[in-house]
Amino acid sequence: MELPTLQDLNLAVTLPSMGLALWACVVLAVGLFLPERRRHWNLVLSLGGIVALFLYNLTLFDLPADRQSAFLGMYRADNFTAFVNLIALVTAFFGVLMAYEYLKRTHIDRGEYYPLLLISTSGAMLMGASGDLAVLFVALELLSIPLYIMSGLRRPNAASEESALKYFLLGAFSSAFLVYGVALVYGAAGSTDLSEIFHRVNAGLILDQGLLLAGAGLMLVGLGFKVAAVPFHMWTPDVYQGAPTAVTGYMSVGAKLGGFAGLLRVFIVALPAVSGAGDATGWQDTIALIAALTMILGNVVAIAQRDVKRMLGYSSIAHAGYILMGAAAAGSPDVRDFAVSASLFYLLAYAFTNLGAFAVTVAIEKDDATNPQLDDFNGLSKTRPVLALAMALFMLSLTGIPPTAGVVGKFFLFQAAVNAGMVWLALIGVITSVVSAFYYLRIVVNMYLREGPGEAQAQRSFLGVAVGLAAVGTFVLGVAPVLFLDLAQRAVLVALGG
Amino acid sequence: MIINGETIAFAVFAIMAIVGGVGVAALRNLFHAALSLLVALFGVAGLFVLLAAPFLAMVQILVYMGAIAILIIFVIMLTQRVAGMREQYNRQWILSGLVALVVFGVLLMVISQLGTPENAMWNPSAVAATLPDDAGVAALGADLVDANRYVLPFEVAGLLMTVALIGAIAVARED
Repeated sequence: MELPTLQDLNLAVTLPSMGLALWACVVLAVGLFLPERRRHWNLVLSLGGIVALFLYNLTLFDLPADRQSAFLGMYRADNFTAFVNLIALVTAFFGVLMAYEYLKRTHIDRGEYYPLLLISTSGAMLMGASGDLAVLFVALELLSIPLYIMSGLRRPNAASEESALKYFLLGAFSSAFLVYGVALVYGAAGSTDLSEIFHRVNAGLILDQGLLLAGAGLMLVGLGFKVAAVPFHMWTPDVYQGAPTAVTGYMSVGAKLGGFAGLLRVFIVALPAVSGAGDATGWQDTIALIAALTMILGNVVAIAQRDVKRMLGYSSIAHAGYILMGAAAAGSPDVRDFAVSASLFYLLAYAFTNLGAFAVTVAIEKDDATNPQLDDFNGLSKTRPVLALAMALFMLSLTGIPPTAGVVGKFFLFQAAVNAGMVWLALIGVITSVVSAFYYLRIVVNMYLREGPGEAQAQRSFLGVAVGLAAVGTFVLGVAPVLFLDLAQRAVLVALGG
Repeated sequence: MIINGETIAFAVFAIMAIVGGVGVAALRNLFHAALSLLVALFGVAGLFVLLAAPFLAMVQILVYMGAIAILIIFVIMLTQRVAGMREQYNRQWILSGLVALVVFGVLLMVISQLGTPENAMWNPSAVAATLPDDAGVAALGADLVDANRYVLPFEVAGLLMTVALIGAIAVARED
């Protein structure tokens, strides 16, 4: 057996995700020995690790070709991975910052929260980096299992337990779909390596076309569950509502990021040559249809919600639809690179905006384990003007109104869809965005035009820092998108080798 | 038919599988039915050994008997109401019988296409000889820890176990 050298393994480039998982173990071990009054070290250590890896990750853009894969192709360290890492680390940063005081005041200050969040983030990063279906599967589990546990942190609260159990059962179910799909694709192509699958499909060396399509379809179902695409979205509102709010905030971005990173990685690297009508690949129409349904259902049902977390749950379904539009557009070879970067940019914009919205929701939530309602925002502009202004900015961004990150992100996605010849899909996107204004702006109306107590529980603190940073991110991405668009555009997904 | 060790072993395992299977469906006590499932699974594991598939046999014992069947028994024992249940609540036995018959028919059809026992497909050692050299359990073990192959997912799976352990403690701990 020929042993590869350490240089062949190229361990250094895997550091963002693997290092974060290792650091999580350190945080876990240290957390065991922390007395009550030193609990803030959990926060300090977690944030320190995240920031250090964030800075290190910036050096991983534009690596020379021979350093772009680690573990001999199992791990891909291209610009796509680096950008996904960037979003994941931002998400983890907010996830930690948002939770610290919230966990304390709701009496669920468990040391496990921090390592679990870090490990889940490393799973999301690994999904984007996977060069092999086996890695994709374990990465998906690494992302999901901590989330199941975190949703149930507020036991014995029944809603939280229901949330955890529902998420666990349906998540396990969807993982089974994914792994079944992986098995069928392996059966058809004879390899689990994404690049190898691409070359075999391209050369027509497929055992059975039907087997390949069935496998791809099952994988789409499995990943569709994770990103909460219609018709695999059933779990979302209940899980979002029952989980502790800080966890919901992290989950609404982290799980989606991992799901989409994996989806784009598999379908664009391994399966672009699956034959379809004309130039487009075989899966384009299917994903486009799912995207349309997801946008419509998410936005329409969100209108009827009174519970803020439930509303944001349906809103997150709707946003999954917009990103799926980008994934569908990537099925056309000419538009592929632009569509990938548009999807990545939207994920970044969505991360800042949605995490900000959840941070404000965390601030509004009372200590008595009741969920915040839309009416709790009444009169907030009088009592907490800055908080209200930030929330208004996030709502504008989620709707897609300038000058915010959301509008730029949506613009690129719509453009990608039009370039791919799917004008109808872009039209549905525009119309549903208008519909979404109804429920997003209702919060703004409640804050500015309605009278009410509108008190926020949290005082000026880490949570305030989170809201502030998210607002700055949302605003900067909205007025100066070039800063990040350039990075996103360098993320190109291709198979290795020739 | 020649009576040798292999045929006797086959008869024993086949009877275990069939009797166990019937027991799962017919026993009134749910707990006994679960134990009967263990017998059936063991019989199938034995058949795998006779078919020169030792890896499948081990997986059958470790995963199905060791994990899944035990999990079922745990669930039955933890839900007292079900553990003492004697009556049959299933009113759909005709339908399930039909489904079972259809499955049996399909399996029979597939097996009958393999031809007569003189066909090489019926000889386990001949089938095993056609497999490539690297298809054995040893190769699987080597692949899992070989840096050229699956060491990354293998290590990540280990991490996954750690997370599951943390989760189990976080969920079950009294505080």
